[in-house]
Amino acid sequence: MGSVLGDWPSFDPHNFSQLRPSDPSCPSRMTPATYHPTHSRTLPPPDQVITTEAKNILLRHVYQRTEEKDVLRPKRAPSELLTPEHGCKQPRASPL
Amino acid sequence: MFRSNNIVARVFQRQIYTPAPGTSVHCARRFYENLVPSCTIYDVECPDHLFRKFTDDGQYLISFSRNHQDLIVYRPTWLSFSCKEEDCDAHDLPPKSKRFESFFTQLYCVPLASCNEQICKDFFLYMESNQYGIFATSTPVTEAPASEGAIQGVPFIEKMTFHLLRLGDGVILDEKVFNNDFVNLTHNVGVFLYDDLLAIVSLRNQAIHILQIRDSGNLVDVRAIGAFCHEDDELFLNSNAQCMALPDKSKLPQLPENHAQNGLHHSQPNLEDSFLSGIKQRLLSFIFRGIWDEENDPSLRVQGLKKKFYFHFQDYVNLIIWKVQFLDRHHLLIKFGSVEGVVSRNADHHLAFFAVYNMETTEIVAFYQNSAEDLYLLFEQFSDHFHAASRNSLYMNFISSPSNNIHALEQLRCIKNKANVSSQFVKKMLSSLPFSCQTQSPSPYFDLSLFRFDEKLISATDRHRQSTDHPIKFILRRQPYSLKFKIKSGPEAGSSDGRAKKIALFLFHPFLPLALSIQQTLFLQPSVVNIHFRR
Repeated sequence: MGSVLGDWPSFDPHNFSQLRPSDPSCPSRMTPATYHPTHSRTLPPPDQVITTEAKNILLRHVYQRTEEKDVLRPKRAPSELLTPEHGCKQPRASPL
Repeated sequence: MFRSNNIVARVFQRQIYTPAPGTSVHCARRFYENLVPSCTIYDVECPDHLFRKFTDDGQYLISFSRNHQDLIVYRPTWLSFSCKEEDCDAHDLPPKSKRFESFFTQLYCVPLASCNEQICKDFFLYMESNQYGIFATSTPVTEAPASEGAIQGVPFIEKMTFHLLRLGDGVILDEKVFNNDFVNLTHNVGVFLYDDLLAIVSLRNQAIHILQIRDSGNLVDVRAIGAFCHEDDELFLNSNAQCMALPDKSKLPQLPENHAQNGLHHSQPNLEDSFLSGIKQRLLSFIFRGIWDEENDPSLRVQGLKKKFYFHFQDYVNLIIWKVQFLDRHHLLIKFGSVEGVVSRNADHHLAFFAVYNMETTEIVAFYQNSAEDLYLLFEQFSDHFHAASRNSLYMNFISSPSNNIHALEQLRCIKNKANVSSQFVKKMLSSLPFSCQTQSPSPYFDLSLFRFDEKLISATDRHRQSTDHPIKFILRRQPYSLKFKIKSGPEAGSSDGRAKKIALFLFHPFLPLALSIQQTLFLQPSVVNIHFRR
């Protein structure tokens, strides 16, 4: 099979020599073979919306540090903070 | 990218090569290595004004009259002259062209201050999108009379006016007056402009006034943070105070008339002392919750609180707002300190804290001491985000700072390694936070990747500096490390009086190879103005 480019000068005459027509009914149309995925694991969720983060990187780091401190701290129920003396909470099981 | 230093070769290279992604501005800037303000006109005869600054888009030169009452705005142009000889380059400039008027055209002169007021010559903010300028005039600063609600020891200004001016034609669009207050205006310290939002720190009354500059030219109050956080806090508290004061009507018959003005104060004088409201409440509760959440065990919790919170409680309550900057449209970085620190000259020894405050949710997001390592790390990595004055200004990202310039980062690391005590170094670096707005020149001649210069004698920050008789050298940062140009302030031959202390101010045009150096002696003698430009 001759080169797709015919007799035009090319850097390497073997370039494009592997191309085969994907559709035998029109052999001159040389689109390279395409590949389709066999699974849909990598599809984005249908309701995905990609937007720019409104906070700049400095503020993102500031918020991240605050959240890290929250994560590192021992977890506590929010209502404990407000009314510890009302005694409506079960005493916490001792870790010992 | 450019292999040759020859400008023609560089232009040809530019035709062929595309710069690496994200570096197009850096590549374009490298042409400034070839186009330098190497020619100086010494002691130019110019009007005796106080030249303040070039606007950041290079359209105007702002100056004030000597009596601090008028604003004079010039348009920077360029000189033009004709030469009948064949080889013009070898000739010196004709004397007629060596004038101030060759470079600057006066646009208008507008009186801003009335009889007993003066323009604050160190204050000027520019809103690039609409070409609006913000100026301030005030009555003289005096000693503070003691008054209710005001901080002791802070100076006092009877009347201070902020003027919004359209620089194209000098029309005053709007004004905002502060009475019996004090805002620190030297070098734009007390005011920060972000996009169209203006934050004005009233030191005396401890409030941060947020104003918006509309496109129509109006200055609109958005909120005042201090005693109140949300816009409707004052209304809520006053209406509650009225309800609670009703049973006392029989005892204090004059109360109803006073309600409208002084609802809170007269009806519940005790709460004045014990009720911390507004941003102080937000701050203390954030500190409290932080210490509370550190421990799970109730007794350890209380111990932690006693040691870290209640022991210092009065210090925390006595903190006042020193300085503020925007981090984005919703977040403020507020510096808190003690009252003594505000009035003293050397604030480094005083207690200082930083808080990140979200104006929309009225929550404190973070709180740091002034020796906090993690705040310093954010400062080192993201300096240019602290400098951000707008979402949209492109050139602000290219002002050399440790986060965008390797040479600035090396200098910073060098100082860090030399420092004996790490916390002292951190305190010193963080003392520049919050940054003052629009105090750095965007001129590419201050780009540390292009030129090396003595930062004690000249830098991007527009401040008066000690003036020397020998010229300041700008040396190429890259090969062949040659001297490119010199800036010398003062007369060409040096001044005759060597003993008099001289200060110099350098005004660089943001993108043209044009600079003014103004040398002043401290005895009200007329200043010596030199023009540095590329011939």
